[in-house]
Amino acid sequence: MNAPRDVQRFSSFCYNCVSGPDFLKIKVEDGVATEIEPNFDAERVHPARGRPCVKAYGLVQKTYNPNRILTPMKRTNPKKGRNEDPGFTPISWDEAFDIIAARLNAIRAKGLVDDAGLPRLAVSFGHGGTPANYMGTFPAFLAAWGAVDYSFGSGQGVKCTHSEHLYGEFWHRAFTVSADTPNCRYVISCGANVEVTGGPTAVIRHSDARVRGYKRVHVEPHLTITGACSAEWVPIRPKTDPAFLFALINVLVCEHGLDRLDVPFLRDRTASPYLVGPDGLYLRDPDSGKPLMWDVATSRAVAYDAQGAVPAVEGRHRVARALTVGADAARAEHNDVEGVTAYQALVDHIARYTPEWAETICDVPAATIRRIAGEYLEAASIGETIEIDGEILPLRPVAVTLGKSVNNGWGAYECCWARTVLASLVGALENPGGTLGTTVRINRPQDNRHLSVKPGEDGFMVQHFNPTGQNSWESEPTTRNIHRTLVPIVGRNGGWSQALGPTQLAWLFTEGVPDDWSFPKPTYPEFWFVYRSNPAISFWQTRLLAESIAKFPFMAAFAYTVDETNYMADLLLPEATDLESTQLIRMGQTKYMEHFWDYIGVVLRQKAVEPQGDARDFTWIATQIAKRTDLLPQYVQQLNRGISGVSPLKGEGYDFSLDPATEPEPEHIWDAVCRAATTTLSEGKECHGLDWFKEHGFYATPASRLEWYLTPTLARQGLRYELPYQERLMRVGQELGNRLHEKGMHWWDDQLTEYVALPDWHDVPGRWERALVNAGGRPEDFPFWLLTTKSMQYHSGGNAGIALMNEVSENLHGHTGVMLNADAAAKLGIREGDRVEVRSHIGATFGKAALMKGIRPDTIVILGQFDHWATPYIKDTERASLNTIAPMSIELTDATGSGADIVRVAVRRMDKAVAA
Amino acid sequence: MNKRYAMAIDLRRCVGCQTCTAACKSANATPPGVQWRRVLDLETGEFPDVRRTFMPVACMHCANPPCMHVCPTTATKQREDGLVTIDYDICIGCANCVMACPYDARSIEHLPHYAYGEPMKSETARFDAGRLGVATKCTFCKERIDQAAITGQIPGVDPEVTPACVNSCISGAMHFGDVNDANSNISRLLADTESFRMHEELGTDPSVYYIWDGGDQ
Repeated sequence: MNAPRDVQRFSSFCYNCVSGPDFLKIKVEDGVATEIEPNFDAERVHPARGRPCVKAYGLVQKTYNPNRILTPMKRTNPKKGRNEDPGFTPISWDEAFDIIAARLNAIRAKGLVDDAGLPRLAVSFGHGGTPANYMGTFPAFLAAWGAVDYSFGSGQGVKCTHSEHLYGEFWHRAFTVSADTPNCRYVISCGANVEVTGGPTAVIRHSDARVRGYKRVHVEPHLTITGACSAEWVPIRPKTDPAFLFALINVLVCEHGLDRLDVPFLRDRTASPYLVGPDGLYLRDPDSGKPLMWDVATSRAVAYDAQGAVPAVEGRHRVARALTVGADAARAEHNDVEGVTAYQALVDHIARYTPEWAETICDVPAATIRRIAGEYLEAASIGETIEIDGEILPLRPVAVTLGKSVNNGWGAYECCWARTVLASLVGALENPGGTLGTTVRINRPQDNRHLSVKPGEDGFMVQHFNPTGQNSWESEPTTRNIHRTLVPIVGRNGGWSQALGPTQLAWLFTEGVPDDWSFPKPTYPEFWFVYRSNPAISFWQTRLLAESIAKFPFMAAFAYTVDETNYMADLLLPEATDLESTQLIRMGQTKYMEHFWDYIGVVLRQKAVEPQGDARDFTWIATQIAKRTDLLPQYVQQLNRGISGVSPLKGEGYDFSLDPATEPEPEHIWDAVCRAATTTLSEGKECHGLDWFKEHGFYATPASRLEWYLTPTLARQGLRYELPYQERLMRVGQELGNRLHEKGMHWWDDQLTEYVALPDWHDVPGRWERALVNAGGRPEDFPFWLLTTKSMQYHSGGNAGIALMNEVSENLHGHTGVMLNADAAAKLGIREGDRVEVRSHIGATFGKAALMKGIRPDTIVILGQFDHWATPYIKDTERASLNTIAPMSIELTDATGSGADIVRVAVRRMDKAVAA
Repeated sequence: MNKRYAMAIDLRRCVGCQTCTAACKSANATPPGVQWRRVLDLETGEFPDVRRTFMPVACMHCANPPCMHVCPTTATKQREDGLVTIDYDICIGCANCVMACPYDARSIEHLPHYAYGEPMKSETARFDAGRLGVATKCTFCKERIDQAAITGQIPGVDPEVTPACVNSCISGAMHFGDVNDANSNISRLLADTESFRMHEELGTDPSVYYIWDGGDQ
């Protein structure tokens, strides 16, 4: 080996999963990237001390992978399908742009929306918005374009923590919910595999916490990485988490009682004192319409905002006159009526959900539930305070965290509600040590959740629901997943609200609609852009979904390699990947998981090596598409507004805006973005261009930890969390039902049952068993629950084709196989390494058995997401996948439009090879 | 007193992420299938009382290394600072050391292997024919440690002279330093915690410590 002549290091970031950005350096020897290293320059500002996770070390292979698409390609076989060779043929970028422009310009000539009222252009991005950190200025092109349908998800709703996103933002502006790990002492983790999905920031924080002596109880059917790193593992029966959490609430409110709880928090920061009338609605002041509370000082009902009142948190109180307002503004007057406080309604409601009851549902001993509830209450240390930057705040170091398949799909509303109630009972909601939201996405502004807190109805934060009124409801859908029409809580905030709609409905309804459907018949989009997204692997019923994709009229895929989705593409467009391209993004307090930092700032991804082949920087691609669709001025105007950047390019005291009449060079764009970002972050004190960032990598300014907590912001405005009683949700659900029924539709009726003021247990796992029976299956033929789990090596990085990840992940038991309880497997004659078939009522998937003790005997787990048949490298290994055999259905969709990774299956040993 | 470089791995922190495994492969350009270090995934107990533990393993740089004693060519040597080394020029690839090592730490590759069959640019740039047909293993990134003697930096403190795996560890589990210096980071850490060494009963006197409890912390 000859010593390299020229060695350079380039700073950059990894944002391949939602837990980014993480810092790194790329070592380049004689122009070839050879190593990934931590960036210790960022050790001070980055919670993970400048270190990226294992995935980043695969980026060198990602760059030089011989399977990459390295030139634009067009399809030559007009037939599409898994068994149709696409016949991709190299073309020039000019020819590719000509094809794109011809189709897009034809759409603009016809109109952006088709006869069904749906956008003709659809766009799909992969994992949790992370593609935005790699697609340069493409968002500015999409903003310049106009109506775009983001309905066709690659996993949104079914693979994300969907109900947490929606209800989390509703209750406490928490698109993602996290423990305040740096200050927390006790965590009940229901399936939250944070050691795998939380990135290096979560890993180091929980590692520090373990050494510090915090206790985490991990509740999940199998012993995950996080379970392994916890003090206690509770192997709960799949999908029974609501019952477990209800029982924890029961112990707190029915056994320990109000005196042990955080009464000031419940009284002043929640709706606990609001009086509920016999019709289940808030009793309101007849004159002002404001909800009433019982004032202990004057022994009478007063409006919630009455000055000097001392509200009763519990009890029943007679109210002389009151008003209730139900769905569609139906008003009822009440005289001498009994009102129960919302807290009392909670106590009465939850009384039936004892630990002994929960034991029969969850297979968790009542004594264990009771002990955990007691430990939680004890650790909450109600009354303790902490000083942060000169402010004294309550310290409530306890949290309940929820993981995927607990906080999405049926049962997730109940879990999210119960978790948030548990936090509020001890004052741990958005207070130091407790349960935090880490960003907002469906409320604005997206870069500061505190600014989204404004007074709304009834003393709560303002909400921006999709309207459900008779005259305001969107009676004809404007997107294919019907998000504005069907899911009030998801709101109407552009791409994020759309993408969080019921994405499986978009896939389902383009294939067929319910019998009593009275909306316009859904259409296929005429043009579909796809980037870092492979729904034909990552969604459900993937074989069928691939057939659906084959019917799309035209797909242009930004392609790294061929994969199962772009196999149906008409154009493949190779973009410069992680080590080859330039983009400036935000860092610190960005979004997801534990990304509350002590700094905020921006970090640059820079070109460390020349793009391979004819791959091009995404910003150049976006600019060219804008130019050829005659949208260049609008595109530049969107850049000037700050789309694709981090700040507007023009603001008070600075102007780096670009000339809309001139085609901007990518470096010119990012130079302006760098200057605008540093000017705004430094409040005009500093201004650094692209060259400075290439040398320094990032720019950071300190941020107060007070920004982590929302409760002080609510307190300053005298606002309350909308807990524990969900009067608004109940009303909205009734209105939505009225609208659908007025149009003669009842196919969403089951979902409407989720809109209740206080959730009940409704045999959540039984829904999957009933769905099986309704599909003609017999439960006894499918005796196991099949679940999925995630992997740090593969989590959301689209790196199934990276050989290094495959190699190192095999060090983890079961990582590449079908994980089975060893005793259950022995009864079936299955041994370690045997080839097994896992079969549901819609199909089978195959893999190697991995036997373990740390999994329930009724449960099987397969790591997501595999079973590739087109992606090079990984298609040559047999990896089972739940996605192949989990059905999509309305029946298994909850009211938010979410589903969960769970399906009833049978498993058997295969004696010889069987075709999938 | 001579230095004795050692590694301390805090099992309370390790999450089995394999970042150190990948970082080692990145830093040392080991071919597919050759892992100078890896993290074991160990399960003990019976359902539902089951424990799962992650345990990073590699060459233990033993003070009494069995691999050195069985080496017929003296290719395996021990430095004064405790590092166990292999001189590729005189190793004959006999595999005595592979068999003698109780830690399964050594590999021998006779043919080049590449991630995707044919070499990528990054693999070509770092291919070293001198590593074929000889025993290889974790070196504690000895080139970095040697650099410390020139720069005056401290291994285990300054990243430039610290093993790549330790630098990469995202959980803060891995520590490195001179255990013969009572004031080194690693000595203070080991003094404050409870630890063990793997297969100590074999008399190998390994230089990797596994911290399992806080002791008097």
